Amino acid sequence: MSCANVMKRDRTAVINPLVTCQPMGAMYAVAGIRRGLPLVHGSQGCSTFVRYSFSRHFREPSEIAVTSLHEDAAVFGGRKNLISGIGNLATRFKPSVIGAISTCSSEIIGDDMEGFIKIAREELKQKMGAAEADKIKIVPISTPSFVENHFKGYDNAIKALVNNLAEDPTDPNGKINIIPGIVNPGDIREIKHILSLMGVEGIVLTDISDPFDSPLRPSVTETKPFYPKGGTAVEEIFDSSNSLGTISLCGYAGSGAQSLEKKYNVPAAVGPIPIGVQNTDQFIRNLKKFTDLEVPDSILDERGLLIDSMADLSSRYLFGRKVAIFGDPAISAGIARFVCELGMIPSVVCTGVENPEFVSEMETVAKESDETVDVMIGSDLRALEVRLEEDPVELMIGHSDGRLFGKQLDIPLIRVGYPVYDRVGYHRIPIVGYNGSVNLIDRITNTVFEKYYDKEHWKLQQ
Amino acid sequence: MKINGHLMQNKNNNHLQDRKTENGTTFFNDLANIRVLKESEMDIRVPEIPAEIINTLKSRKKHMCVKKDGTNSIPSCNEASVPGMVTQRSCVYGGARVVLMPITDAIHLVHGPLGCASCTWDIRGTRSSGSELYRNGFSTDLQERDIVFGGEKKLLETIIELNQIFEPAAIFVYATCVVGLIGDDLKRVCSEAGKITGSRVIPVQSEGFRSVNKSLGHQLACDALLEHLIGTEPPQNKGNANRKGLEDHQNTDHSLNILGEFNVAGDFWAIKPLLEKIGVSIQAVVTGDSTVEEIAQANLAQLNLVQCQKSSRYLADAMEELYNIPQIRVNFFGVEETSASLRAIAKFFNDPQMMETVEKIIKSGTEGVEESIIPYRQRLSGKKVAVYVGGNKAWSLIRAFEELGMEVLLTGTQNGLPEDYQRIKETVRDGTLVVDDANAMELARLLGKYKPDLLVSGAKEKYLSLKMGIAFCDFNHDRISAFAGFKGFLNFAREVDRAVSSPVWNHSPKIKPPAKPDILTAKSIEKKPRKEVTKIVQGS
Repeated sequence: MSCANVMKRDRTAVINPLVTCQPMGAMYAVAGIRRGLPLVHGSQGCSTFVRYSFSRHFREPSEIAVTSLHEDAAVFGGRKNLISGIGNLATRFKPSVIGAISTCSSEIIGDDMEGFIKIAREELKQKMGAAEADKIKIVPISTPSFVENHFKGYDNAIKALVNNLAEDPTDPNGKINIIPGIVNPGDIREIKHILSLMGVEGIVLTDISDPFDSPLRPSVTETKPFYPKGGTAVEEIFDSSNSLGTISLCGYAGSGAQSLEKKYNVPAAVGPIPIGVQNTDQFIRNLKKFTDLEVPDSILDERGLLIDSMADLSSRYLFGRKVAIFGDPAISAGIARFVCELGMIPSVVCTGVENPEFVSEMETVAKESDETVDVMIGSDLRALEVRLEEDPVELMIGHSDGRLFGKQLDIPLIRVGYPVYDRVGYHRIPIVGYNGSVNLIDRITNTVFEKYYDKEHWKLQQ
Repeated sequence: MKINGHLMQNKNNNHLQDRKTENGTTFFNDLANIRVLKESEMDIRVPEIPAEIINTLKSRKKHMCVKKDGTNSIPSCNEASVPGMVTQRSCVYGGARVVLMPITDAIHLVHGPLGCASCTWDIRGTRSSGSELYRNGFSTDLQERDIVFGGEKKLLETIIELNQIFEPAAIFVYATCVVGLIGDDLKRVCSEAGKITGSRVIPVQSEGFRSVNKSLGHQLACDALLEHLIGTEPPQNKGNANRKGLEDHQNTDHSLNILGEFNVAGDFWAIKPLLEKIGVSIQAVVTGDSTVEEIAQANLAQLNLVQCQKSSRYLADAMEELYNIPQIRVNFFGVEETSASLRAIAKFFNDPQMMETVEKIIKSGTEGVEESIIPYRQRLSGKKVAVYVGGNKAWSLIRAFEELGMEVLLTGTQNGLPEDYQRIKETVRDGTLVVDDANAMELARLLGKYKPDLLVSGAKEKYLSLKMGIAFCDFNHDRISAFAGFKGFLNFAREVDRAVSSPVWNHSPKIKPPAKPDILTAKSIEKKPRKEVTKIVQGS
């Protein structure tokens, strides 16, 4: 039973950032819609750099359009670019949803996105006829880059999608809405698996599991234009107001759920992410509460498998080891709690955001830990590096950006989250749910073996 | 049929037969409608592309042309991208970043919201033999408050802080879109910071939206170097680390700079031994594996070699004017090009001993390559290649491919200038398609139509081409082996061979145009209706 020692970054400069700007989160959200295209209203760099970032993490192509603002837009406004951009995008790609994402430039210039979109819609109706034009939904998403970070951008995007697309409730559909947050395709597939074991269908807002992990089949791939397989269908988003409940996996992604609750009385449950025994139990409890279904044996067996793994491995190889965790606030808090359940000590947890949800989750974790937990908020990797130089740990859990100083300090890095670009396959392997937690414990233990046991060639008994 | 330069309308809307025009070239034509074009409507005369090859926006037609001897063969370029496309282009900050960030012992501080720094931190594979300071990402992280009240105070504080922590040789401050919009005076803050910290603080006015072409970014970066770095003394309290004495310079016979070489994947380390063997001393590389003080003394060299002409031609011209340093263009990709470059260097210095050494090196290098290249040539000969890269590589790679026996079907750039397309025109064969600023959709269609065996491009296009069943070789930031020089050419052959000959392509059919229903899915793939062409541009 300890307390959380909350430390803010006390430096003005940001060195080796842990977060990026809002538009990236919005692009992530819109990419999960079937035939959905993000349209970034800003400079070309805004889309290009994010596409590059997605490409190296998922090893998949990503289609993000941009309205290419240049100097004349800075002076006269971006109206012409946005309207013609929407027109071109609609006629060439015929998407189901265009997410018009603003950036720092367009927000500072003061473009009235909603007004321009109305005009663009009228033009489309004239060009394509009302029926065709109505099939293309255009959603304005306000994501100024100088406010908070990409988690907020994701949250804003889901809220905008739900507010603009969810229709008035008709008949209940018996489904559960899931807002996954910025997680990997493997994680979303695991959540869908849990839902299917419970016997309930889910509407995932939004589902990037197939668009960012799709097969190579040139004969069936839509290339004219290129649309990846899968994604949430627009009709499902229309239907989301009829669901039994909304569960948001990550604490930062709750606005969409709260919006559905306020407008359509769809009950909401926000966080914590189902990593580890207690958090996943909470997730299952929420499912049970919303659907009124019994928890089947198959899920209890999966839980049993996790407890079995923990019994096999945690006391012998993991107990008492100090861990540093960094990255996404929801995932870091979830892993911190799991790490305590394994008997390890989450000495320092570092993220780039300053969310109150994160701090309260970490206080829960600290109560379950034997030693004080340093919680670094609004921080960056340089601050973590300095902290670890003073007081090293035995393991680091986070994404690939920590590999350089990990190597310097000789602390092995266990890669989770986004982005992981120096190892492969991690976006396919879930870390949520009971199965995901088993994967995580395996990953952690194998790293411990490589680093601390292989050197001595210990004979590893049962 | 052409009369007085105007096109005649076919009143019956029949398909016209192939006809010979005034210059004897044929124009194929399954176009249904042609109308009379007024003189004022006539665009640049480019040879037309068969309409079936590309079915895209009318405004984009000018940006593609097929190389034909005797014709202009230069596509429309250096214009704004069409809004709403999935562009491959980057912004002006991207251009500046590319030129300056390889400088190893400097801090590269991005003044703006977090995203610009966060997405571009340590993504380029430029290598360093010394300091790794350049690999960190630094940002002032402008928040809403700074947007309203201005970010200058925060910038000053940030610079002072960073200087205290790291004591770098220099701090480069990059402007982003926001800085241009809120009106922060970067120059003033940097000069003030320079006085307070006693360090070099160099502003780079690279707001992202400043131009349609990121080449402006290259130019701005070179401007920053010229104005604030090249030819300057180090600030008082920095000492004279890494600087050669003036006498050392005067005693060196043959010293040169290499401009436009960024040591991506160790390219410069492949060229360095060749140059050292022939007896030249390298003063500064702009900017691969370089230090701030080395570049500060670049004005003392006797010759500038310009490798990447797109980004550094401007710098070479300016140094010629300011410091009377002549320049020669070099290209170290490919055996023939490397040999020609070495010979050009020897010719410049007019040193008979150097010329002799150069011939020896070329002979041994070429022989070494010839022996090892045979198995690669066997496998690659006759294979077709599409190239879509930045401005310079589009032509510098062509010869290298031809030395491997491969055929270049298509070459294009994201942001080439007319001079680049001129070079491309001189290098490619007739019938090659030249493309400017292709967006992802056009690229996918071009690949589907031309069906090359290999696409050479950068990371964003990689997975698109793989999904279509076309092998891919990265020639951009994510390269892992050096391609320059003689040994580099072998690496290049090996990488290309790896991509093309991989057994995975035996298990997947290449992309076919949609025709019959796919048996496995029993779903027919819709055909998109063909757009009617109402205006063609007829070449001569």
